[in-house]
Amino acid sequence: MLHIKCPHCGLRSQNEFSYGGDATVKRPELNKEVSDQDWDNFVYLRKSPRGKHLELWQHISGCRQWIKVERDTLTHEIFTTLKANEEI
Amino acid sequence: MTLVSPLQHVHKKGIFGDCEDNNAKNLIKISEVKNLLIFQIVQYKKSNISLKDIKIDELNLNNEAPKVTFNNETRILWISPNNWLLTSKKQELRANINQIFNETDFAITDLSHSRAVIELEGENTKEVLKKGCPFNFNELNKNTCINSVFNGITITIDMMDDSPNKVRLYVLRSFGESLYHSITDACLEFGYKNI
Repeated sequence: MLHIKCPHCGLRSQNEFSYGGDATVKRPELNKEVSDQDWDNFVYLRKSPRGKHLELWQHISGCRQWIKVERDTLTHEIFTTLKANEEI
Repeated sequence: MTLVSPLQHVHKKGIFGDCEDNNAKNLIKISEVKNLLIFQIVQYKKSNISLKDIKIDELNLNNEAPKVTFNNETRILWISPNNWLLTSKKQELRANINQIFNETDFAITDLSHSRAVIELEGENTKEVLKKGCPFNFNELNKNTCINSVFNGITITIDMMDDSPNKVRLYVLRSFGESLYHSITDACLEFGYKNI
């Protein structure tokens, strides 16, 4: 069981959160030509790192806000949590 | 038209659970709160209006988690950034709300008939909540509120008093009966009195 510190609500159980995937993926810019390969990479291709990973989580049963969590995928240690619009 | 409360068919008055050796004062009191005005207030991201300028029933909107601003009849719960739950027994506030909150700055939703509200009172109230909710209730102080889950049901908990502990649980109306059964099951070992 993880305990995640929501930047809005404080320390809460993982039960209240929903995992939202890799937070480092950038959407191709709007109104610009995108190759099929780039679009395919954006939609489907994800890294599966062993170690530090920046992830999106939603505090679905709490404040319902999306947050960023820097977590170690090996030890599950959580280093930092940020609001969705903040950068490390 | 007669009002049908969410727990009308399950909430029966009486004393239940392990109450033989318990003093009546130690029993957990469970009641359904009816006729409560419940409004969700959301300030739009693009809104520039200052919250200090807004008062409803002499109360300000406080954007500090997890504070509750309150007076005798009205409580404003912080739900998330720029999002509050206003609860009040003053039905006349219904008319004022749309005048106070500008349509271009706020989204106002009347939830009065879409929530079931259960009130628990007694020394063992936090012990009951600990059985189904992962939150550390030792950190829940008087006049604060949280959103969490109880046996998988999303709830809002408003800590109204701490001597003795008194909380209000807000849940979606359709989950009201399930939550009620979960809460009363958890209360059995302490004994409880439905009022």
